[in-house]
Amino acid sequence: MSPVDPAVALPDKAVDGGWKRVHPASPFVRGWVALAAVGFFFSRDAFERMLQGRDFVDPNLTGRVPWLLAGGAVVLLLTVGGFILSWYFTRYQVAEGFVRVNTGFLFKQQRQARLDRVQAIDIVQPLLARIFGLAELKFEVADAGESAVRLAYLPIDQAKQLRASILAQAAGVVSEPGSTEEIREAPEHVVLSVPPGRLLGSLLLSEQTVGILIGAAVVVSTSVLLENTAIFLALIPGILGIGASYWSAFNKGYNFTAAISPDGIRLRYGLLDTQAQTLPPGRIQAVMVRQPPIWRLFGWYRMHVNVAGYGAAGNSDGAARTMLLPVGLKSDVLRMMSLVLPDPGVDEPAAVFNAGLEGLAPAGHVPAGTDGFVTTPRRARLLAPLGWRRNGFLATGTALLIRSGRWWRTLVMVPHQRTQSMALHQGPLARRFAVADLVLHTTAGPVLPRVFQAGVTEAVELFDQQAARAREARKRQTSEQWLAQVAPQAPEVAAAAAQTEEPQTPNQEDRHDG
Amino acid sequence: MPTEAIDPPGVQWLRVSPKYVTVRLVEWAIGNVLLVAVLSLPLVFVLLGWWRWPPLWLAIAVPAVMLLLALWRLALIPRQVRAIGYAERDDDLLIRRGIFFQRTMVVPYGRMQYVDVAVGPVERSLGLCTLKLHTASTGTNAQLPGLPAQEGARLREQLSARGEARLAGL
Repeated sequence: MSPVDPAVALPDKAVDGGWKRVHPASPFVRGWVALAAVGFFFSRDAFERMLQGRDFVDPNLTGRVPWLLAGGAVVLLLTVGGFILSWYFTRYQVAEGFVRVNTGFLFKQQRQARLDRVQAIDIVQPLLARIFGLAELKFEVADAGESAVRLAYLPIDQAKQLRASILAQAAGVVSEPGSTEEIREAPEHVVLSVPPGRLLGSLLLSEQTVGILIGAAVVVSTSVLLENTAIFLALIPGILGIGASYWSAFNKGYNFTAAISPDGIRLRYGLLDTQAQTLPPGRIQAVMVRQPPIWRLFGWYRMHVNVAGYGAAGNSDGAARTMLLPVGLKSDVLRMMSLVLPDPGVDEPAAVFNAGLEGLAPAGHVPAGTDGFVTTPRRARLLAPLGWRRNGFLATGTALLIRSGRWWRTLVMVPHQRTQSMALHQGPLARRFAVADLVLHTTAGPVLPRVFQAGVTEAVELFDQQAARAREARKRQTSEQWLAQVAPQAPEVAAAAAQTEEPQTPNQEDRHDG
Repeated sequence: MPTEAIDPPGVQWLRVSPKYVTVRLVEWAIGNVLLVAVLSLPLVFVLLGWWRWPPLWLAIAVPAVMLLLALWRLALIPRQVRAIGYAERDDDLLIRRGIFFQRTMVVPYGRMQYVDVAVGPVERSLGLCTLKLHTASTGTNAQLPGLPAQEGARLREQLSARGEARLAGL
């Protein structure tokens, strides 16, 4: 792809007033599919000819050469011209507390987002961009739709630099906006990583595998019964799809690393396409820890978060972004919890989380569980024959912990200041047993906090108190100072944050893979 | 207005306008009359001898069941409307609804992102409006239908003012 327009050859420097352009190669990286299609269209003829064992060049070609060349040139020019125009008219600027992006040449779009409204920043590197050392920066604000700002593509160093300066400005670190260029990336401290073997094991022991095995058993037995082997042929697309889904889960979860930095929690993952997410911890709306029954053998857990801006986990991309931990041991879960919820608001967090993850109320007529969780009253055991000893809630000083599920053990946590609104639900059956459900509303995401079948007096009391707690927590919201709260976890990070001029200690991993 | 078991103690509920029953009746008629009419078509065809299937009992049973269900829903409407209540507290708005499946919801003023007032054609002719509260959560399905237009406007202003005073981030 030779530069057709001299503008392409221009170095990527400030245009005017701090307005910058994305990397000149980015339209080609984004639009390689279109270029490939053009190439395919013109080479298909020759390929077919080769396959049919005829001459590589059409014998009648000589008469059509000018037309073919002209047509090809027009298509190529239009495509490349479109790329160049789209690149030329895309500009961005980070200044005065705003990030602004102008795009489009026929239909212009100007967008600006407040930096202090940032919910998350992701740096994504699809395989092709990774080869060229480019990266896409996604800036999320609290709007469950698309990313507020997507800058594709920037050189990876520039993307990291931009992320650092955006996060620093959002946190209010920088006093003078002119000095954004000098901000270096916040040092980070790797907290946990997922070994590939465990990831593979977790995929093989997932619910999906069980479903596939059951499906396979059904298919085999039917084909034996019907003495019909053609049924296997019909399975091929299904097998391909299953393979693709395993591959995508492996590709997304590979090399999962969680690190803490003054900017927030940083998650990196990906085999071919790599992604680095930065979640300022105050932005996490709800956390869920889940354990499918088979994983209990190995003590594995999975964690999801709701982050405003990531939206619902509709597609695989969203599912990956809302994954806080694809698979981890209980120690990993506790470590993640301490990052997400630096102050659990109880004296013995480990014991409380343990009770939330595995606890079971005694089966007898004890009014409340000994582990602090208020569970479904015994009178409602017919309504939830399996879950009644497990369904429970515990309000700590900072968060509401909700546990449920006898087989699919689930623990959900919602920080008090993140509660949006709440509703008590009671159907006719629940009224008969004098229980009620409490639903906490949070931003769109995989976590749906719901207290199942709490006794009606406890539920109403919680409903009332929770509203007051949320109010109090919002008044003394201290998410900006979260690093100070996590400091015991990672003292060297806090120290490094305090004196950024100091060279990095060997503890802080200096990673270059974005 | 009676206080149900799941309502917080000591709340003085305000009821929506009884005229909202008319709105619900119109909605009911549009939905159910059409449905029952369409489901009765096979019965007509069978009676006219155009269709051999379904058998007569089935052709009668399906619309009859639907008609009974529709009448049941119709009978519930006045009680459902009476069950809608709201209460303004110092820091939040309470909304309740439902007879069989009850729901009591609390929306803190500081969490409201915006407030909508919507008026449909039937509501307009009766001088009613529907108030919708939006928070950052899509789960907050806080609707307050059947408010008199003045009360709706007053609530909107009140909620916006209180929301601004207590506005918190996400």
